[in-house]
Amino acid sequence: MLVVALAVYPTFGTGYGVRAMLQIFMWIALAGSWNLISGLTGYVSFGHVAFFGAGAYTGAILISKASWPWLAAALAGGVGACAVALVIGYPCLRLKGPYFAIAMLGLNEVLRALVSYFEGLTGGGSGLSLPTLHATVPIYYAMAGTAATVTLLTYLIITSRFGLRLMTIREDELAAEAMGIDTARHKLYAFLLSAVGPGIAGALAARDQGYIEPISVFPLATTITMIVMVLFGGKGTVWGPVLGAVVLFVSQEFVWARFPYLHQLLFGAIIVAVVLLMPRGVLGLLQVKYRLPRTI
Amino acid sequence: MNIAITPAMVGQVVISGILAGALYAMVALGLALIYGVMRVINIAHGPLLMLGAYTTFFLYSALGLNPYLSVPATMLVLFLVGVGLQRTLVFRVVDAPELSSLLLTFGVSIALVNLAQLAFTSDLRAVEYLTGSFPLGPFAVSKTRLVAFLFAAGVTALAFLFLQRTRLGKAIRATSQHREVAMVCGIDVQRVHLITFGLATALAAAGGALLAVIVAIQPEMGQIWTFKSFLVIVLGGAGNYPGALLGGMLLGLIEQGASLFLTTQLSEVVAYVLLVVVLLVRPTGLLGGRQT
Amino acid sequence: MTAKTLGVLIAAAAVLAAGLPVEAQGPIRIGASMSLTGTYAKLGNYQHEGYKLCAKQANEKGGVLGRKIEFVIYDDQSAPPTAVRLYEKLITEDKVDAVIGPYSSPVTEASANVTEKYKKVMVTPLAATTSIFKRPPDKRRYYIFMVISPSEVYLEGLVDMAAKRGLKTIAIINEDTLFAKAAASGAAELAKKRGMQVVFQEGYPKGNQDFSAILTKIRAANPEVLAASTYFDDAVAITRQMKELNVNPKMYGLTVGGDLPEFYNLLKQNAEYITGATQWEAALPYPGNQEFNEAYKKEFGREPVYHSAAGYAGCVIYLEAVKRAGTLDSDKVREVLLKLEMKTVFGDFKVDQDGFQTAHKMVTTQWQDGKKVIVGSWRRAWLPRGGAPSPADRTRRSPNGERSRGRNVASPAGATPCATRSVAAGPLMNSPG
Repeated sequence: MLVVALAVYPTFGTGYGVRAMLQIFMWIALAGSWNLISGLTGYVSFGHVAFFGAGAYTGAILISKASWPWLAAALAGGVGACAVALVIGYPCLRLKGPYFAIAMLGLNEVLRALVSYFEGLTGGGSGLSLPTLHATVPIYYAMAGTAATVTLLTYLIITSRFGLRLMTIREDELAAEAMGIDTARHKLYAFLLSAVGPGIAGALAARDQGYIEPISVFPLATTITMIVMVLFGGKGTVWGPVLGAVVLFVSQEFVWARFPYLHQLLFGAIIVAVVLLMPRGVLGLLQVKYRLPRTI
Repeated sequence: MNIAITPAMVGQVVISGILAGALYAMVALGLALIYGVMRVINIAHGPLLMLGAYTTFFLYSALGLNPYLSVPATMLVLFLVGVGLQRTLVFRVVDAPELSSLLLTFGVSIALVNLAQLAFTSDLRAVEYLTGSFPLGPFAVSKTRLVAFLFAAGVTALAFLFLQRTRLGKAIRATSQHREVAMVCGIDVQRVHLITFGLATALAAAGGALLAVIVAIQPEMGQIWTFKSFLVIVLGGAGNYPGALLGGMLLGLIEQGASLFLTTQLSEVVAYVLLVVVLLVRPTGLLGGRQT
Repeated sequence: MTAKTLGVLIAAAAVLAAGLPVEAQGPIRIGASMSLTGTYAKLGNYQHEGYKLCAKQANEKGGVLGRKIEFVIYDDQSAPPTAVRLYEKLITEDKVDAVIGPYSSPVTEASANVTEKYKKVMVTPLAATTSIFKRPPDKRRYYIFMVISPSEVYLEGLVDMAAKRGLKTIAIINEDTLFAKAAASGAAELAKKRGMQVVFQEGYPKGNQDFSAILTKIRAANPEVLAASTYFDDAVAITRQMKELNVNPKMYGLTVGGDLPEFYNLLKQNAEYITGATQWEAALPYPGNQEFNEAYKKEFGREPVYHSAAGYAGCVIYLEAVKRAGTLDSDKVREVLLKLEMKTVFGDFKVDQDGFQTAHKMVTTQWQDGKKVIVGSWRRAWLPRGGAPSPADRTRRSPNGERSRGRNVASPAGATPCATRSVAAGPLMNSPG
C-alpha cells in the first residue's frame, strides 16, 4: 500500500510535496547509513556528512565538467564517498572511542578546506552551478530507491553473521578479537558500506538543487541531525532510522518553522532530551518492553 | 607572485605561533581536565569561552572595568556556570557511552550559541584596549597578544600549582587516574567532578576574556576553539596535563607555519593530518606514557 | 502543513472550482524566503524591512492594479537547500502571485533554479554575483533581474583612486567565499588594466581569526595599496593586526565592513583613512532617498542600511513593472523589466538582456576624523566575460560619479581630494608602531 502510494505520489503531489518527500528519503538514507557503522559497531562517526559532501562534489563535478548523465554521476558519487572512506577508514578505524569521533569531525572540516582549496576543479568558495535540469520526479524515485536500499541492506546485515560479528565488536571489541573475528576488516567493510548511501544521496541532492558550495554540503549540523534521528528511532535497529527521519523531518518542517528565532535552542533541547530520556530510542524501548525481535 | 620567505618572516611567525600557543594551551587544559577526570569531551567548551568573552565585554562597557582586571571576575562567573551545567546535565552522562556525552554537550553548545544570539544579538563587539605592538629587533610583538600570553602562562602555572600542591588538586588527579581507587580513599568523586567542570570552564572563560581584547566578539566565535583544544590535547596526550602546554605551542607554530609556507586555507588540513599521524604512531600523545 | 496554508489551499481550490479568474480579487501575494535566522540573519532582516515598507507604502497609495500587496515570508535559516524548498512551497502550495528574491548570492543561486522552472519573474535585490546572471547559453536564465552592482566592482573605487595617484603595487586578500572572491578578482583585473602590479594575492578561510602569517607575507611584499575583500569580523581583525605587525600601505581599502558605523565604533582612530565600499548611502541625492530614510526610521526605529534600501528598491521596481505591464503575467512583466530605466532611492536601475545590472553605481567611502565621507561613486568598469557589452557600458565612470567625488556627508572635506589626504597623512603610512 505505502509503496504504491509513494510510487504514484509525484503524479498528483505539488512540487513542494515531492521535494519534501525527497528530503525525507534523503534523511532516511543518511540516518540509515550512519546506523550501519555507528549503530552496529559502536564507532561514533561524528563527521558522516563528509561522505554526503564528497558524493555531492563527485557527482557535481562529473555532471558539470564531464557532462555525465545524473544517474551515472549519482552512482559515481557513491563510489567517490567510498574511496574517501577507504583512505580515511583504514587508519582511523584503529582509533578508539572519542578519538575516532573527533578524527571524523576533523575529516569533515578538512574535506571542506580541501574542496575550497582546489578551486580549479570545485569552484572553491564560489561553489559549483550545474546546468538547469528539471528532473525532480526522476530524482525522487532515485532517492526513494537509495533509501529503500539502505534500509534493506540494514536488514540483511542485521540478520547475517556479518551483522552479528559487528554487534559483537560493539559490545566488546577485545572479546570479539579473542573469538577470532578479524575486527579491522569487519569495521572497514561496515564503514565502506555506510559511506555509499550518503555519497549517492549527496550527488542526487546536488543535482536536484543545481548549486552546491562548501558551506552548504559539509555542515556539522547534518551529521548531528542524522545521529539524533537514529537515536530517536532506535540505534542498531532496521526501522529506527526510518522512524526517526520521518518524525524529526516532519516536526522540523511544520513545527519549528514557526519559531525561527528559537530554532537552534529547540534543536539543542531535543538533543539533550533524547540523550537523557530515551538513549535506546522509540524502537529500542518497544523492543525491551514487548520483546520484539531484533530485526525490527 | 610568490613571496620569498626570509628568516625575519619565519621569526615573526614563530613569535606569533608561541603567543597563540599559550592561549591554546590554557583553553585546552580545561578540556583535558574534563576529559581526564570524567572521560567526557565537552563540545560546549568553545561556546563557554564565548560566554567568557561577553562577560568581559559587559564588565568593560557597563562598569568600565579594565579588561585584564576582569579576567578573575569572568573566571569566577563562568566557574559557577560550569558547576551549574555539571550539576544539572553533564553528571548524567559521565558513565554513559561517549556518544551520549558528545551529543549532550553538542546540544548544550548550540543552545548556548542561540541564547547568546537572542540575548546579545549577532552584532560584533570589541574591547578596544591595548593596540599596536612592541618592536623587537626586526619583529613586531603585538601588545594584546603578549599580555594574553603572559596571562595565559600565569593562569596555567597557577592551575598546575593547584593540581600539584593542594589537596583538592591531588583529589582531581587521583580521580582522573583511577576513579574507584579514589573513591575508596575517601574522595568525594561527585564533588571533584563539579569542581573540575567549574575549573575547566573558568579556564575557557579566561581564554575568552583575553580574546575579547584581540578579536571581535560574536556568538559564533567559540565553536572553532573546541576543535582546536581537542587537537592540542591529542598532540600533548590526553590525560597528560603538562602535555597540553607542548600541544598548545605545537599547534600555534604549525598553524602559523602552514599559513606562511602554504596558505591559510591549508593550515587546518596540516593540523588535522598531524593529528591523525600522532594518534596512529603514538596514540598516547607526544608526551604519552608518563602520567602526571 | 499549517492550518493557514491549508485554508489558503482550500480557498484557492474553491476559487478555481467556481471558474472565476483568480486575479481581480484579493491582494497580490508576493512570496519570498528570507534569511531571518542563521549566518545572514542580521542583513536578511534589513532586507525584509525594506520589503515591508515598500508594501505598506504601495498599499497606502491604493495598491497595484487595484489590489493590495501582501508578502508571504518564510525563514530559510540562511541555507540554500532550505530556500529551494521554500520557493517550491510558495509557488506550488501557497500559489503566490509573484516571488521576489532572498538574501545573498548563494541562496539566490540555488533558488533561481526553482523560480525559472515555474517561469516566475524574480527581482533579486541582494544577489551581487555575476555568474548567477551571466551564464553559458545552455544554462541561461530568463526571469531573474539584478538590482545591485556586481561584486567585482566593490574595490574599483579604491583601485581607481590608487591608479590616479600613481601608486604602482597592490596586494589583494579575500575571504574564500562567493562574493569576496569575486570582488578580489575584479580588483586584480582592474589593477592590471590600470598598469598596477599585483604583488600578492591570497584567500583565507571563513571564520579565520589570526592573520599574522598572511600579513607577514604582505609586509614582505611591501605593496603600496592593500585591498581586502572582507565581510565584517575579518575586516576588524585584519585592521587590528596590521597595526600590530606594522603593515603600512599607503592606501588600504575594504569591501563590506569598512563602511559600517560599527567599524569605526570598534576601531576608533585605527579606522582613519580606511576606505570602504557600499552600494548605497543614506546621504546620496537619489530621488526620494531622504523621505525613505525618514519613513524607515519611523517604521522600524533604526537607520536603514544598504540592504534595506536595496530590498525596498527591488520591490518598488517589480511593482512599477507590474503597473506598466498591467498584468502579473511573467512574460509581459519580463519584457517591461528588460526595457525599464528607473531611478529609485537606491540609484539607477537598468539591466541588459541577461537581467544583469548595468546602471547602478557603487559608492566608495573613507573615514576622516571619525566621519564617513563619500569620496566617489563608480560605475562598473568591469565587464563580465561572455556577455556582449554595448559601447555605452564601457564608460569607466559616469559624469555623475565625477560630480559626486569628494562630496561630503558630515564634515567639510575642502578642495583636497580625499585620496590625497590618505596618501599624505594617513596614520597607517607613518605609524610609530
